[in-house]
Parts: sequence; C-alpha cells; structure tokens
Amino acid sequence: MNTLLEAFSMIATTEVAVAILASAVYGMVIGALPGLTATMATALLVPITFYLSPIAAIATIITASAMAIFSGDIPGALMRIPGTPASAAYTDEAYALTRKGQAEVALGAALWFSALGGIFGAVALMILAPALAEMALSFSTYEYFWLFFLGLMCATLVARSSPIKAIAAALLGLLITCIGIQNPGGVPRFTFGFTDLLGGIEVLPALVGVFAVSEIMRALTSAPPPPIPNRRLGSILSGQWALTRRYKKQMWRGNVVGVLVGALPGAGADMAAWIAYANSRRFSKEPEKFGTGHPEGLVESGSANNAALAGGWVPATLFGIPGDTITAIAIGVLYMKGLNPGPTLFTEKASSMYALYMVFIIANILMIPLGIVMIRTSRHVLRAPRAAAMPIILLLCAVGTFAIGNNPFAIVLVAVFGVLGFVMERNGFPVAALVLGIVMGTMVEHNFVTSLIKSDGELLPFFERPVSAVLATMTIAALLWPVFVWLLRRLRQARPA
Amino acid sequence: MHLSDRVTGTILIVLGALAFWGGSLLPAVPGQNVGPAAFPMVIGGGLMICGALIAIGIGRSFEAPGPERSEAPPGLASRIGGLAAALPPLLLIFYVLVAERLGFLPTAAIILLVTALALGAGWRLAVGVALIGPPAVHVVFHNLLRVPLPAGILPAPW
Repeated sequence: MNTLLEAFSMIATTEVAVAILASAVYGMVIGALPGLTATMATALLVPITFYLSPIAAIATIITASAMAIFSGDIPGALMRIPGTPASAAYTDEAYALTRKGQAEVALGAALWFSALGGIFGAVALMILAPALAEMALSFSTYEYFWLFFLGLMCATLVARSSPIKAIAAALLGLLITCIGIQNPGGVPRFTFGFTDLLGGIEVLPALVGVFAVSEIMRALTSAPPPPIPNRRLGSILSGQWALTRRYKKQMWRGNVVGVLVGALPGAGADMAAWIAYANSRRFSKEPEKFGTGHPEGLVESGSANNAALAGGWVPATLFGIPGDTITAIAIGVLYMKGLNPGPTLFTEKASSMYALYMVFIIANILMIPLGIVMIRTSRHVLRAPRAAAMPIILLLCAVGTFAIGNNPFAIVLVAVFGVLGFVMERNGFPVAALVLGIVMGTMVEHNFVTSLIKSDGELLPFFERPVSAVLATMTIAALLWPVFVWLLRRLRQARPA
Repeated sequence: MHLSDRVTGTILIVLGALAFWGGSLLPAVPGQNVGPAAFPMVIGGGLMICGALIAIGIGRSFEAPGPERSEAPPGLASRIGGLAAALPPLLLIFYVLVAERLGFLPTAAIILLVTALALGAGWRLAVGVALIGPPAVHVVFHNLLRVPLPAGILPAPW
C-alpha cells in the first residue's frame, strides 16, 4: 500500500501531468500523419526525455506511443492510408466502412477498442511482469545468454521476410555493437583509429537513422498521399457499447493475442494487428463480410495493436530485451534514468514500476477525449503537407541526436544508419532485427563470454541447468523452424495432392 | 537501391570474413581463454553462412512480395529518380561540416528549404518552412533545453 501511495505521489506532479498532455498531443499528430510512425515519434522524443525526471521521461514515451498507434487509424479510415504500420492490417476494412458512410463507426471503434486494449495490456503487464520477475531472479548467465539468443531468433521468425535475411540483419546489429572498447579485453575493437568510435555506436543515433532518416529518404522517392476528402462526422462513441457487447469474445481474443505478440521480442503492434485480424476472420461466423466494411475485424485487431504496446514492456523491464521497436528505445531511457531493467527492478524500484503501470492506464483513459478532438480536427491536421512536415523531422533528427552528447559525430552516425536502413528495407532485410541486435549486443556478448569463462571454454554447461536446457531447446527449435517449413513445402510440392 | 540477392549475399560474406579476421587479430586477455576475439569471430562466421545462403537464394520463398511501385513522386525525385533518396544523409553531413562556421539558423534554413523543394513544395511553402522552422527549433533546443547550438555568423537575437 505504501508503494502504491509513493507511486501515486510520483506521478501527481505538474511535470508529469504536463509531460503526459504534451506527449499525448504530439503522439496523436505524428501518428496521424502518414509516413511518420510511432517508433519515429518515440525516437525523436528521447532527447527531450534527457531533461525530465525518470517518471516523466517514461510517461512521455508510453503516452506518445499509445496515442500514435491509435491515431494511425484515422488516415487509414478516412484516406485508406495507414498513419502507422500498426494500422495497415485493417486499413481496407476501415476505409470500406467509411465508403459505406459509416466513418464514425470505424473511427469510434478504433478509438474505443484502442483504449480498452491499452488498459487490458497495462493490467496484463502489471500481473505478468512481477510474477515472471520472481522466476528470473534465479537466472544465471547461461539462462540470460539463451534468453537473448531466443529473443533474437523470435525476431527473425516473426519478420515478414526471409528468416535468413532476418538472422543476417540481427548479426549485423550484433557486429555493430562490437565497435568500441566496451569488450571483455578492454581493447579498442574495430575502431580503425577513430577516437569517436572508442565509446562504441550509441543506440539512439542508430534508431533515429534507421526509423526517421530512412523514412524521409523513402518519402523522396514516393508519391505524396492524396488530399483528404471533406466529410461530416456524426457521434463518435455512440454505438461502441453495442459493438463491445456484440464482439466481446473478439475483443478479449484481440487483447490476449496483442499482449502475447507484444511480449515476443521483435514483434510489435503491427504484427499483433495482422495476426489478430487473420484470427478474427478465421474464427468469424460471417467471414464473407470481411473486407466489405465489417467492424468485427476492426474490434479484434484494433484492441490487439494497443494491447501489444504494454506487452512489449514485459521483456523490456524484466530482461532488457525489447518486445518491439518502441521498447527498444524505451530501454535506453530506462538505463539513462537509473531504472536498469532486470528482475530486481520490481523489488528495489517497485514504486517506479507502479507509477509506470498508472501512466499506462492514465494515457489510455486520456486517449478517449483527446482522440475525439483529434478525429474532429483531423481534416485540418491531415492537410499539413508532407513537404512541410518531413523537412522539420530531418532537422530534428540532426538537432535531437546532437543534443544527447553535444557531439556532431552523432549526426554523421544518423546519416550512415539512414542509408543502411533504407538499403536494407529495399532489399528485404528487416530493420527491426537489426535494431534488436544493436540494443542487445553488449548484453549478449557479456553473458556469452562470462558463461564461456565460467565453463572454461566448454559448451556442455550451457545446457546443464534445467531452465537453460529448456531455453536452449526452444532457441534451437526456432533456428530450425524455417528449415522445417521449407522441407514441408518441398515434400508437398513433390507429391501434389 | 535494389540489389540482387547474389550481391547482398556476397557483401555479407565479405563483411563476415573481415569481422572474423579482424576479430582473430585482437590481443587475448592473459590467463583467460576467452577474450574480445570470441564474439566478433562467432558473428563473422554466422554472417558468412547467412551470406552464402542468401547468395544461393535459400529462404526467398518466405519473403512477402514487395509493394508495387506507385506513380512517380513529385519535385526533385521526378527528375533524378532514386538518387533523390541520397539527399537527407547528404544534408546531415552538410550540417556537420558547415553548422559550426555558418551558424545554426542559416544552416537549418538551407536544409529545410532544399528538403521541402525536393519533396515538391511550392516556393511559397518552402520559404515559409525555412523561415519559421529554424527559429522554432532553436527556441526549444537552445533556450529551453540548453543545447549549445552554434551561433556562427548569425547569432539568434534572443
């Protein structure tokens, strides 16, 4: 009870309130603009979080990402262009509703079920994370090594691309973390004589480059979205309660799928939405209505993508393994603010964790009134031309990364990672896997080398402890799964039924 | 910039080999059998295997088909095609090279103007963005967050 009160006093400050409100508006606007993603919004926020208290810093990230994932649905429903990738799964469905003259149903469902999904995700995080923390306290470096390895493998399994390319992308990320003197020998490694590289590659310039600069590069080679049509909207929330009662099962399924997918490393809100939409169609009593403006799929996938956001925080706070690209950024902020991820976070900094859960719930409740305002004003916000928004984002990329260490070299890194992200994306290499490798690299190496030193170079102890044996089996299964699928397809092709 | 799988695979093999070789040159820690060399060598090996598999086309069946090409983009890109993508990184390098001497406000204005024009904005919008954007960013980062942005030849009057 004491911790609860303490947590409450942590968030009941003007600073946190202002941070939540400002980041909510920021997230709503960025999410609604096509081409600007929730991850990009979060990455550009990090320089600001430097100047905030720990709870306010975490609150801005949670709030901005939740709002951006919801408001990505707005241009999806009105213009058939998803504002963020997380809305892509059901954009056609939402737009079909709009064409039937039910834009308010589509937008209302997006808002209502986003908020409910977000709250469910927060409750799941509240229950799951401390329970898992008990277990994680007994983990040794072997378990951590396998856990990180498994996390990287999961990211390659869920990528919508070739698993081999995903593994290569993750390895590339790991290789990038080899740069610098933070290694078991303390020797300059792959620094090529540059003093700027001695400290290693910082995560934030890499993230800003991969997620923001490469997005601007893509904008320069693609056509701008068409102007938004003028449309009068009726009441947004009326009818949502009826939908909730009618599609109760779908909503719960979407919530659970969202949390689970979100907790899987590398798979975030976009993946959750795709899976939930597919599930909804598979188990629906009227699958023929899907794609013609049927709210059932919207309910399920709209709840899933917001539930996934909180799910991503489970492995992030417990192990420092990002559940999605947003928590990949959040982990850096956690470290910066002295809230180092790990099972002890739940005992030593329990009040901070409670404050984090509360922020999640506040943000999702705040989403409803702000979301209504955003939907009502979306016509004006969405009219902001891309040619005005993108240049400012580019400038913020430069100034934001410079602000972190007052080091111009960070801007060079942003440019380099922008090119890398752009080229990788064009050639089917998932950038999420690269980012995961960069975020986890130092920890993977630390646990790998410590384990090897403990075992005297032997590999057997990696499998001897019961939990590590289970994790090792899962990792190897994940590694071999694509081979299995490939063989299965081969066999089926050889024996056409 | 679309490269064939054979090219990207070969690049990865070369990179992996370099990482393996570079790693093997690192000095060992005395009295310890595992040092800074182990990790890059393992990764280098992994990259070489992945590169080889990609080069011979394994795993291609898993790839989702890419989005179909949409109509031609406006502005600069319609004239120089895919090369327009190089503009943002080049402008960032430009910022690093000249911001110290020229100052934040003029450098930022140039970057905004060029990017807006390249994205197909009219002159009125582009100049507007270039005039309003830099002071706004300057106020937030320099005055509120106390980031030492270079003053150069045109120090901000506030």
